[in-house]
Amino acid sequence: MRVLHLCVNGDRLEVAAPPHWTLLEVLRYKLGLTGSKQGCDKGDCGACTVLVDGKPVLACLTLAALSEGREITTIEGLMPAHRQAGGEGADPVQEAFDRCGALQCGFCQPGMMLSARALLNDNPTPSPAEIKHALSGNLCRCTGYTQIVQAVELCVAESTSKKPRSPAWAPGVNPWSRAEPASGGQD
Amino acid sequence: MKSFELVMPKTLDEAIAALPESGQPTERVRVLAGGQDLLGEMKESLVTPERVVNLKTVPGIEGHEPTAEGGLRIGALTRLIDLERDEGLQGSHPMLVEAAAAVATPQIRSMGTLGGNLCQRPRCFYYRNPHSPCLKKGGTECFSYGGLNKYNAILGGGPSYIVHPSDVAPALVSYDAVFTLLGPAGEREVPADSFFTLPSSGEVTRENVLAANEIVTAVTLPAGREAWKATYLKVRERDSFDFALSAVALALKMNGDLIEQARLTLGGVAPKPWRCTSTEELLVGRKIDEETCRLAGEDALRMAEPLEQNGYKVPMTQGLIRRALQALAS
Amino acid sequence: MAARDNHGVGSPWKDGFKVIGRALPKEDGLAKATGQAIYADDIQLPGMLHAKILRSPHAHARIVSIDTSRALALEGVHAVITGESMPIRYGVIPWTPDENALAVDKVRFIGDEVAAVAAVDEDTANEALRLIEVEYEPLHAYLDPREALERSEPQIHEGKKAGNVSKHVGLDFGPVDENLEKAEVRVEGDYVFHGSTHAPIEPHCAVAQHAADGLLTVWSSTQITHYVHRALARVLELPESRIRVIQPCLGGAFGGKSDPFALEFCVAKLAMITGRPVKMLWTREEVFYAHRGRHPMQMHYVTGADRDGRVQAVDAKILIDGGSYSSFGLVTTYYSGQLLTGPYDFPAYRFDSTRVFTNKPPCGPKRGHGSVQPRFAFEVQFDQLAEKVGVDPIEIRRRNFQGDYTETVNGQRITSNGFLACLDQVEEASDWKKRRGKLPRGRGLGVAGSMYISGTNYAVYPNKMPQAGVQLKVDRSGMVMVFTGGNDIGQGSNSVVRYIVAEELGLRPEDVRVKAADTDLCPVDLGAYSSRVTFMVGNATIDACRKLRKKITQAVAQEWEIPQARVFMGLGEVFDLEDREKLISTREAFHLAEEHHDTLGSTGSYNTPTLGGDYRGGTIGASPAYSFTAHVVEATVDEETGRITVENCWIAHDCGRALNPMLVAGQMEGSAYMGLAEALLEDHRVNRFGLHAGPSLLDYRLPTAVDTPELHALIVESLDPEGPYGAKEAGEGPLHPSIPAISNAVFDAVGIRLTELPFTPGKVLKALEEQKAEKQASPGNPSEQPIGEKA
Repeated sequence: MRVLHLCVNGDRLEVAAPPHWTLLEVLRYKLGLTGSKQGCDKGDCGACTVLVDGKPVLACLTLAALSEGREITTIEGLMPAHRQAGGEGADPVQEAFDRCGALQCGFCQPGMMLSARALLNDNPTPSPAEIKHALSGNLCRCTGYTQIVQAVELCVAESTSKKPRSPAWAPGVNPWSRAEPASGGQD
Repeated sequence: MKSFELVMPKTLDEAIAALPESGQPTERVRVLAGGQDLLGEMKESLVTPERVVNLKTVPGIEGHEPTAEGGLRIGALTRLIDLERDEGLQGSHPMLVEAAAAVATPQIRSMGTLGGNLCQRPRCFYYRNPHSPCLKKGGTECFSYGGLNKYNAILGGGPSYIVHPSDVAPALVSYDAVFTLLGPAGEREVPADSFFTLPSSGEVTRENVLAANEIVTAVTLPAGREAWKATYLKVRERDSFDFALSAVALALKMNGDLIEQARLTLGGVAPKPWRCTSTEELLVGRKIDEETCRLAGEDALRMAEPLEQNGYKVPMTQGLIRRALQALAS
Repeated sequence: MAARDNHGVGSPWKDGFKVIGRALPKEDGLAKATGQAIYADDIQLPGMLHAKILRSPHAHARIVSIDTSRALALEGVHAVITGESMPIRYGVIPWTPDENALAVDKVRFIGDEVAAVAAVDEDTANEALRLIEVEYEPLHAYLDPREALERSEPQIHEGKKAGNVSKHVGLDFGPVDENLEKAEVRVEGDYVFHGSTHAPIEPHCAVAQHAADGLLTVWSSTQITHYVHRALARVLELPESRIRVIQPCLGGAFGGKSDPFALEFCVAKLAMITGRPVKMLWTREEVFYAHRGRHPMQMHYVTGADRDGRVQAVDAKILIDGGSYSSFGLVTTYYSGQLLTGPYDFPAYRFDSTRVFTNKPPCGPKRGHGSVQPRFAFEVQFDQLAEKVGVDPIEIRRRNFQGDYTETVNGQRITSNGFLACLDQVEEASDWKKRRGKLPRGRGLGVAGSMYISGTNYAVYPNKMPQAGVQLKVDRSGMVMVFTGGNDIGQGSNSVVRYIVAEELGLRPEDVRVKAADTDLCPVDLGAYSSRVTFMVGNATIDACRKLRKKITQAVAQEWEIPQARVFMGLGEVFDLEDREKLISTREAFHLAEEHHDTLGSTGSYNTPTLGGDYRGGTIGASPAYSFTAHVVEATVDEETGRITVENCWIAHDCGRALNPMLVAGQMEGSAYMGLAEALLEDHRVNRFGLHAGPSLLDYRLPTAVDTPELHALIVESLDPEGPYGAKEAGEGPLHPSIPAISNAVFDAVGIRLTELPFTPGKVLKALEEQKAEKQASPGNPSEQPIGEKA
């Protein structure tokens, strides 16, 4: 066992773990932060992506012992940080993923959302191609990525007060608008 | 993953001291840089080191600086993402930047290092599967020969048919880079092209000349390459994660329309970055036209001996060479 | 009874839908977005042990002996079990119980389960596995289905009547030979479909706890809670009443979690032995061994048509590689033929399908179960027919359209059918008329169509009880709690239940909460397979709501002394339609109803009508409603590297009614993505020793965001009388056409016909080389002149 001093989601924590444990194991099984998922345990899927000093890295290929002295952000850290900064609800990335239907099984999405968060921190107005490139280390098996990219585009649009691109199934309208539609659907 | 002793050296000398002395079993110690390949190997029990030496705590082997001769020295611990995002390098050494950006995924480039990328182990799935005791792992047979070999070598194969997995390596060979290796006896300089070995000439379980008590500390690019035109092109099945089916690192020194000097190295097709010296000679003095593209492709793949399922790599690589030449012509 | 009622396609209240048809977020969306959702591996119980499985290194072998004594002696090991611990066989299809939780006597593929260990942690459990000594006597391993068909000794499953044949189905309808004889145009060809697997990002995981009073609780990442419940009872020899199965949040399934698996039996048994909770999480490698993915098929098709391209007969012969166990194979074998008979009409059809066992990971149901492979062959053949006849590929599909409210040649009842609208939509959106056949060489458009079931009336075990059940519990807070056995596997079935209850009872969606897939709490539902959940659970939910609604409106009407028909419920309020001043909150209405009646609640259910052809197997493939799909794919072929890039995929899908268009679009996009992936990249195969060739997400290539084309979901609503508000399935049908549409687009782009999957650069380069050689051999020869219309 080795006593590690980690900084996770702004908390300074002391935790004992075997020296060969990865950051993913320590987060999930020692700290109970099970939002970081294990999809392959070999760096082939991106589900375990966390932010280390703001950069997306694979928690399954990072030894916990080598994460000391770094700022680690997991999916559980986004909403509290957003609230601390004076925001309401969850982080805009999380809200957009929810509003766009990007969360089907949801298993890959904590990693996906952290990749998206890191991108938007670096570049608040990425193009669709830049969004796809930034998410290219996160496999999703449910969505075909369309609603994921739409979610990130929605974040960008709302942060710049622009109208988002409409999806093919709702031409010309913004189906994710927070404004309540005046009336219901047709009979 | 098996438990191990984690060593955190503060200096390069401490790191070297933690490596096995000459004559000691080498497999008991492993050096960790970005860890993106090593941890995977350890999880599959392909290596089960008793000691892991972490280089991240060693200062002074990250980043790059000009050399007295006008070249560029890049620390081995420089992360791939920092190469990819370096605007100066994008202008001066685009082939290196393109190669670094072609590695795996954004997450892996965030952690993976230049030195780690050069020293990573092969990705042949016979090698990576702990249940197949292949030649590369010290067994008696290369199962890809006569087995599934769609991804294996068409050049320089035998008795092992792995392909070298690095994207950065072919680019460095085409830049005539020199690697600095540090061991107990001090530093030695090895040209990139001589660093990598073939299974027929070196130890079949290794891919380079690095000794067990040595560390790659730096890569130096020679002066003047800023004036060359260079590009790295890679074909893979997926545009992320995947290793190359075939890759071309082409650098040309042009004199007007004519090629004055050329460097051509192939990736993904041989057990080491495959330098095409005769093709380089053939290119000298020629214009980049259809005839040149055809001749270069034919010459570079002249020695190709495809296995049962990887013959496609021949026309694919020829297509890439053509594309690289055309890209540099414009 | 109510179970078979149709509820109509209209809204429950006169002023139209308020919840249905809107792009609302999902019931569990924010829990998943914030990392709060609990999946199986997130469960940690006090004192929990960790279990691992020892797997066979042989593709086919007899087990001579197993010695577990050294493993048991290792410090930290609490129990070791082998096949003898649970010798009763099971199978998800009760007619083919050929699986054991752990191998008894024999192993049948590399990765077959042999023994299991429970220990204090995974490292210790893995160490213990290395100490188990197994002596094997290797047997001849079958890796080629053709060999398994022709050779009967040794048998993979001893005692089967027909060598290594798992199932044979031969059915014919109409004068096939006669019509083929008379056909003015014939197309004949061989088509090869490779294996692919589900690869959900969540690996399988199960946790078991055995209470002192004998109650066994199993949490499992399953999509069929009810069948796991039954299988556990059978194998563990426990009464079903002593077992509770719970599906936590599930990280993807796609059919890959619809069998009972060794891990569920093992954690249960190990928990019973040790008296401690036990968890087993499979590695990614183990998920590849568990497989149950798409069956490889070798298919031969002959299609005969008249000179206008109207199909007169189809004759198919199919060899199916089943892998080592039956799984759903009986159904697969039927589906390989039974689901081809739409959206096109043809008067004569024959199929002869044989599923054989081989010593490979077992195949099973993957999204589009059994019908994706024949659909590929047939839709490519349709394109070949169009070429021969000289008709536009969309036009020839229109010409053969079967119509709505009709019956197929094999006796399946078709209700609504929006296939023509699907063709219109993809034709327009892709600018087909201007671009197909006219793009520069290297770029092309391809079309394909398909149909799929919305649930099946073939219940896995014969019984007359409902296939779906729902229970509503009304809370005095104004909230309604819904209990459903339906498995939400990410497709959003719990959200659909929420929307329906909100619509029916006039509630805000957030005032409806759903508890699903817990056998102690929820009425039985058969599970998430055959695209049945929205359709069947949706109908059951409407049924339960309407019963409850009657009670509430009756109580309010009585209180206000007005006719019941005047009581209106909408978005949290209840009022008198003729006097809007009379208005109370739904919460108050619930209180009134509870005063008038009793503790408030209701149940609802759904069962299929009697369907299917009057012949053996005629009910397999019979569905209360069919969905229809058309795709156009735009692809580029790089003639230098052989790489195919799909730029666009237009997906038009007739889902009856989109209860939530955003979720429907998500299913359509996800389906198309999965089809494109298996067409271009994915390949689930073993090497010459039977060892999986690359059981990792690096070697098994799922497309990433940069590999996935623009997916354009175009929703077609045909309003089916059988579905909830007219809805049909959306989660599997839209996978089918992606694969043949690529092949057809490649033909448009460069003139080569790809008939063998997957379409790798190697195959493309080879086909291009052959095309070049052919052209050089006969340079002056014009291509075969189409007959019929001029091109």
